[in-house]
Amino acid sequence: MIATRNLSKRVDTAAGPLDILTDIGLEIQAREAVAIAGVSGSGKSTLLGLLAGLDLPSSGEVLLSGHRLNDLDEDGRARVRGELVGFVFQSFQLLLGLTALENVMLPLELRGDRDPRDQAAELLRRVGLEERLQHYPKQLSGGEQQRVAIARAFATEPAILFADEPTGNLDNVTGERVIDLLFRLNQDKGTTLVLVTHDEHLAGRCDRLIRLEAGKVVADDNEVHSA
Amino acid sequence: MIRWRLSMRLLARNWQSGEQRILVAALVIAVAASTAIGFFTDRLGRGMTNQSADFLGADLTLVSPRPVDTGWLREAQAEGLKVIETLEFASVVVSGEALLLSSVKAVQDGFPLRGAMRTAPAPFAPDADTDELPSPGEAWAAPRLLTNLGLQIGDSVDVGAHTLTITRVITFEPGQVGNPFGISPRLLMRMEDVPATGVVQPGSRLKYQYLFAGREVDVAIFRNGLEPRLGPSHELVGVKEGRRAVGSALERAERFLGLAVLAAIVLAGVAVAMAARRYSERHFDMSAMLRCMGASQRDLLGLYLPQLLVLGLAASAVGCVLGWVAQYGLLYLLADLLPASPSTPRAWPVIAGFATGLITLAGFALPPMMRLKDVPPLRVLRRDMLPLPSRAWLVYGAALCAIVAVMWRYTDSWPLTLSVLAGGIALVVLLGLLAALFLLLSRRFNTHVGVAWRFGLNNLWRRRRSSVNQILAFSLTLMAMAVVALVRTDLLTTWQQQLPDDVPNHFAINILPDQVEDFGAFMEEAGIDTAQLYPMVRGRLVEINGTAVRKAVTKEARSDNALNRELNLTWTTRLQEDNRILTGRWWQPDDAGKPFVSVESKLAERMGIGMADELRFAVGEQHFTAKVISIRDVKWDSFRPNFYMVFPPGFIDSFPATYMTSFYLHKEEKSLLREMVSRYPAVTVLEMDRVIKQVGRIFQQVTLTVEYVLVFTLLAGFAVLFAALQASQDERLYEGALLRALGGSRRQLRAGHLAEFTALGGLAGLLAAMGAECLTWVLYSKVLHLEYSFQWLLWITAPVAGALLIGAAGYWGTRAVVERSPMLLLQNQ
Repeated sequence: MIATRNLSKRVDTAAGPLDILTDIGLEIQAREAVAIAGVSGSGKSTLLGLLAGLDLPSSGEVLLSGHRLNDLDEDGRARVRGELVGFVFQSFQLLLGLTALENVMLPLELRGDRDPRDQAAELLRRVGLEERLQHYPKQLSGGEQQRVAIARAFATEPAILFADEPTGNLDNVTGERVIDLLFRLNQDKGTTLVLVTHDEHLAGRCDRLIRLEAGKVVADDNEVHSA
Repeated sequence: MIRWRLSMRLLARNWQSGEQRILVAALVIAVAASTAIGFFTDRLGRGMTNQSADFLGADLTLVSPRPVDTGWLREAQAEGLKVIETLEFASVVVSGEALLLSSVKAVQDGFPLRGAMRTAPAPFAPDADTDELPSPGEAWAAPRLLTNLGLQIGDSVDVGAHTLTITRVITFEPGQVGNPFGISPRLLMRMEDVPATGVVQPGSRLKYQYLFAGREVDVAIFRNGLEPRLGPSHELVGVKEGRRAVGSALERAERFLGLAVLAAIVLAGVAVAMAARRYSERHFDMSAMLRCMGASQRDLLGLYLPQLLVLGLAASAVGCVLGWVAQYGLLYLLADLLPASPSTPRAWPVIAGFATGLITLAGFALPPMMRLKDVPPLRVLRRDMLPLPSRAWLVYGAALCAIVAVMWRYTDSWPLTLSVLAGGIALVVLLGLLAALFLLLSRRFNTHVGVAWRFGLNNLWRRRRSSVNQILAFSLTLMAMAVVALVRTDLLTTWQQQLPDDVPNHFAINILPDQVEDFGAFMEEAGIDTAQLYPMVRGRLVEINGTAVRKAVTKEARSDNALNRELNLTWTTRLQEDNRILTGRWWQPDDAGKPFVSVESKLAERMGIGMADELRFAVGEQHFTAKVISIRDVKWDSFRPNFYMVFPPGFIDSFPATYMTSFYLHKEEKSLLREMVSRYPAVTVLEMDRVIKQVGRIFQQVTLTVEYVLVFTLLAGFAVLFAALQASQDERLYEGALLRALGGSRRQLRAGHLAEFTALGGLAGLLAAMGAECLTWVLYSKVLHLEYSFQWLLWITAPVAGALLIGAAGYWGTRAVVERSPMLLLQNQ
């Protein structure tokens, strides 16, 4: 589903070039749930950005469901994202001017669906927010907002879901509930999940753990399993 | 369709949150200002055209000494025009023993085609409009004809071999377009009676006048077809020529109004740009999110641009309605100057209003909005990721294009547009630098003031770019207002000083050469000072340097009145007091009798006449040539006799001349006029006292109108202030919350804000005073030729007014900063 070869990201800083990721080679299978873990600054968010086609590598390549992202321009990558990818972010990234329902409808509308309302309402029901359809994000708690974000991420039934510290802004109990929901939907829909976290407990719930340190893969369960 | 719906939903939500209100308000101001002036000038222009037509008695008249080709008249009828013919001739009107040379006019049914004659039942009785004509066998006469011949209504006169009964006094007659100088009193009769008079014989001096009226386009088509076929003895007078004579004050007012509107539009544009920038920045996250969801750049534009378009159209519609209402204010202010019923409004100012709204929006809002499509999707992970800033050339280029487009509409001239633009840019850059310098100085000054002032001045310095913008916006507005106020007051005062109480308010013309001495004695006896008596010879300018004058001048100058009418030529030894030689020299004693001429400067400019040019004149059948040896500046508004062409004594003295002079008569001395007219029947008296009073009123009204429009400019200035406040709102809210969390009181914060905006307004006022001082100096010394004095009062009023106005507005605009709970704000960060 996702493959990288010799993936590196280098940025220029005032102190000279800085390698954020070095020579990453990964293969993630369909329906796999993968955690990318590491301390702050280890390059995990950068890796997520590259895997999702939000950014381009300095060298190496990313294949997303057969699309070589390096070959696509920004609009091309956006098209691939629209077709294949869903996102859940630490900061929820809901549009404050739209209701919960409208936020979930948004990706469906962008895709050109004629009547996304029922679909979106059904998704919100599945995340337990059927009473909150017409609420604006500011009227929802953090956990509720993240559940709206999860409903939105699954709205287009993406093949791959990228989640960036999805519990980072939530307390433990709420975080746990949100993660339960995420995994349940993931399983129901048969989605490939790539989850970035520094939370070991959360990482442990995934099928596979890739650990980054200073921009390099230092551990990958897959290799252990295959070994 | 789906995206359109989504786009409209986002628009509705954004509107509820109040994000676009400043942008819309600024656009509404720009469109309202533009539409108000559009409606006003359009109605005014057409009203004046109609008025000119009323004055002319037709939409077009053709004057000829002989009957014209009847084919021409059939052509006019084929174009759908109404055509009638009149005939004018000079004839001695006889009543018993008394004789009087009169100007007889014979008219057909339907005269006049436009406007109406005014008649009275007896001399000096109240007059009224009439749509009737004298019946065959009857005539209407000018009051002077009756008084000079000692006649009553109902008496008979002989014109040639025919006797006519006088049934009414005629007080106004449309179409009397000739120069009032030298008119013999009018006798109006029917065309049918002309053959019976036997006056029209081969060789008689006749003036056939053909009047045409119809739709504007038809008249234009006919005129364009006819013009090339006209001979030298034909004269075409249309409403355009008529209007030029009536409306130069209003034309100038229109130009001022145009500039004031332009200033309002540019300021509104700045506010639009600031608001659009904030809107764009607040939507970076949304754009990044949408990019993550697969939206292409086109999708993003498809979401944002329709919103902008709908806002633009809605704001333009509201602006048009407000403009429509505001024009009534203008019409009210100028009521005395305008035709009694200005023509009905047309739709084009609405179209122009929408165009202004959309052009302003495109020029000022599009560049910041275009950034939204370039937001990198990675921003969802890294908040510091920003789209590249809009390229400077794009931002300024788009704004300049919008300004030029709008400006061109008002000036209708590229050289003027470009020079105003260049001047404007230079002014803005200069004022901007000064504003920045003031801010820098205020920072230095900072340590010597209290906490509130320090807080306020620090705020100005931290947001210096925005502060400079605001100072600029307000200083330009205040400056414009100050200049208009100063110029109005000073012009009026100076004008009144120049026109002391005894300014000549009457002209006596047609004084016969052998009466000159007697007339002088008569006036002296009556204790009335007269200006010098000037001889007048009526002649035409026919050639410039050997080229027929119509070919020698530019196309625009061809319709100049000076070419189409006879000029009054005079000679004098002494240069008139209020004339000034611009180039060349005045006569020396030994120039007497030499073929020299001095030309009025504006006429020379229009006709392209320069020093040493040879001008050929025709007086009756005789021609003579004179060389230009000076160009003179003439003050036409001095109400003294003035002339386009002045010759040295002894050169044109041999031509038949009459004399003219001007004098002052107090209201109570008016009875003298009757005595004068009966003693010198040939003399015509023109009463100017009403005109003088009217000019003062016109001036006051015109400046009042400009000030009225400057209110739009001021409102646009406020739009800039509020756009700037909105742009800094989030930052201010956060700082305010933080300061209050750290123990700052509401009062301290409010005092800080008050200080900040008072300082901003004060600085803007100070700059405005500087700018206005410079501008008025230039205006006074170069344009208006008034004595300049230092406007010390301005240096107090402008900064105080600025500080009060902007201090209050800013204080009001930042009230949210202390009203919101600091807890809430810090939580939301």
